[in-house]
Amino acid sequence: MESKTRNMVSLLVVAVLATVAVWQFWPPGDKITQGLDIKGGLSVILTAEPLGQAPLTEDVLQRVETILVERVNGFGVSEASVQRQGQNAFLVQLPGVQNAREALRLLGEPGRLEFIEYASITDTATIELINRQIDAEASATPTEALPALDQAGYAPFMTGEVVTDAQVTTDEFGNPAVSITMSREGADVWGEVTSRLAPARGIVVIALDGRAKSAPAVQSPILDGNTLITGTFSIDEARGLAAVLQSGAMPAQIEIDESRVVGPTLGQDSLNQGLLAALLGLVSVALFMAVYYRGLGLLSWVALGLYGVIFLGVLAVLSRLGIFSMTLPGIAGMILTIGVAADTSILIFERLKEEVAAGKTYRSAAKSGVRHAIATSIDADVVTLVSAVALYIFAIGPVRGFAFTLILGIFIDLVIALLFTAPMVRILAEGPMAKVPALFGLKAGDRDA
Amino acid sequence: MPRRGIDFMGKRNVFFALSAAVSVLAIVILLVNGLTFGIEFQGGTVMTLAGAQGVDTEQVREALEAAGVPDARNAVIQPTDEGGFIVRTAESDTSAAQEDFGMIVSELGLPEQDANVTTIGPGWGANVTNAALIALIVSLVAILGYISLRFEYKMSITAVLALFHDTLIVLGVYSLSGREVTPNTIAALLTILGYSLYDTIVVFHRIKENAANLSKRSFMEMTNESINQMLMRWINTGLVQIIPILALLFFGGETLRDFAFAMAVGIGSGAYSSVGLASPLYAVWKEREPKFRALKKRYEAQQSVK
Repeated sequence: MESKTRNMVSLLVVAVLATVAVWQFWPPGDKITQGLDIKGGLSVILTAEPLGQAPLTEDVLQRVETILVERVNGFGVSEASVQRQGQNAFLVQLPGVQNAREALRLLGEPGRLEFIEYASITDTATIELINRQIDAEASATPTEALPALDQAGYAPFMTGEVVTDAQVTTDEFGNPAVSITMSREGADVWGEVTSRLAPARGIVVIALDGRAKSAPAVQSPILDGNTLITGTFSIDEARGLAAVLQSGAMPAQIEIDESRVVGPTLGQDSLNQGLLAALLGLVSVALFMAVYYRGLGLLSWVALGLYGVIFLGVLAVLSRLGIFSMTLPGIAGMILTIGVAADTSILIFERLKEEVAAGKTYRSAAKSGVRHAIATSIDADVVTLVSAVALYIFAIGPVRGFAFTLILGIFIDLVIALLFTAPMVRILAEGPMAKVPALFGLKAGDRDA
Repeated sequence: MPRRGIDFMGKRNVFFALSAAVSVLAIVILLVNGLTFGIEFQGGTVMTLAGAQGVDTEQVREALEAAGVPDARNAVIQPTDEGGFIVRTAESDTSAAQEDFGMIVSELGLPEQDANVTTIGPGWGANVTNAALIALIVSLVAILGYISLRFEYKMSITAVLALFHDTLIVLGVYSLSGREVTPNTIAALLTILGYSLYDTIVVFHRIKENAANLSKRSFMEMTNESINQMLMRWINTGLVQIIPILALLFFGGETLRDFAFAMAVGIGSGAYSSVGLASPLYAVWKEREPKFRALKKRYEAQQSVK
């Protein structure tokens, strides 16, 4: 009697799980976050390399991550994310980003802001290059065509580290500009330099990543640290610059190793194809199970259905927690686990048939059959799990999504096997199987074989 | 007990010869043909253009040249079933690739949102390959460890041998078909590691169970019976594994196809190798143990007396 109660409790738990799952994931289009390769947008993998002599310590990498997060937030994209992958790689995802080119440029920018006293520069080549860069800015021609300043040719009196806040604003001509706020120390230095230069209208060069953006002549001492950086910015550029300045300079050299831009329409097409494949796979497996295992096959339908429902429910919960988004490789992983789930049912049914054939009663065949089959299944699953986990931990890029759904699928499969298939087989063995063995693909004569 | 079922073990030398021949063939093909590595390993750009009905390959190539794509003449332009193109170029700078792409779609008059552009930097391949290799080694060590712990080390070594065999065959088929090896292929290979072991573990489980009270038969005989007992399980689990993958292969769309292809070949080979390679190898090895050698002698003597 005690085992009967246990069976019923298991089934009740599964029913509750499934109900909660449906409530969680319906409608799936809204509740399960779609990955970039489906929704469209920009996905970039950047790697950090040591800058100069400084080694790439954990501190540096964390600083890089923080800066990337701040820059990404500066783009004003909702659901943007930065994820550490492998040793020194970062996956940045910007859903729905239109201007991929600009976003790519800003992400990898060193963000080195420098304040240089023009009169302190002695190197003539540097002076000449600064003049050309300023002229180019003034005439609104792209400064990218000109080379960057050689850092040996000048000594900045202050760098971007003093910036505490950067906002987009407009200059006196109504052009986009960036206003910055400085820390106490920065404001002190800035106040001292501007006080000294103001009487003679001395010039300060403000350069970003080796390119002079503006070279204002100091009109009056600036003591509060609030300063305007002007140049020929478009509003997008100004917004990007503000994001870069706000986050500060990159402590490492950033390289863009992979960028994927996915158009929204194409992503939807791929999703539909993936779902079609999933559906066909599921239906074919279900048909096979019903043809071969009859009544037990129908039991496996319910098991597969519960499996799918609970899987989607878990994905919806993980989506809401912000730790999952469904990608195409993720769908592939899900499709693959249909096989894993059906395999478990097959192992249970075959073992049951075998023990019945060996002359055991249905009841004891169900009991020991299920136990043995689940032990086999766990061993086989663990081995699959091992390679999926290794893939998830060590691999870089989209394949991790695949490994993740595969891992999840294996766990959910075991839950279903233990809480649904096993008790159902035991319950069916109590009555229906003995009454109509043919319905379960069991011949009554099997006992004598 | 009467001998029932198929005599797999009796034909083990045929299986060994077949596996050896196919493995050698795979190695030869790999040496001669080599593997075509995707842009993920060498740097470059892949653009997927959709909605390009009425545009031919030549027009795409002209657009590439007009956009100033480096080495445009050698770019691979492959039409898709859905009336689009997959274009692979050598451009490995992300910003430049974006500019090229903008020019190409405007040149061809295609909608910009019906496209994917993937650019991989030149140094990235080494990272991806290293990560994959680490994952591979860790997987193998963990699998060896688990099987040794749960069963015994002889099982783990024969299982892993079968694994190498499967991997070799997948790579050989890749080389022969000229398909591109992408990170998805590597992922598929790693998954095959675990998956192809599924059947092997199922059979090993039964062998272990039957070996527990082995007295009236030789180890080889018992192994053969174990396989026969598991025959329907072996066929059916293999079938339900491969059905969804075939659905993925034929209906899953361009992105997932290479993945499904590797999986399909690997699962086929994995199913074969669990019965044709791992189990007989294990049985041969076990029969060299004094205990089972004695059993075999006794059993053979009994047989001849009868």
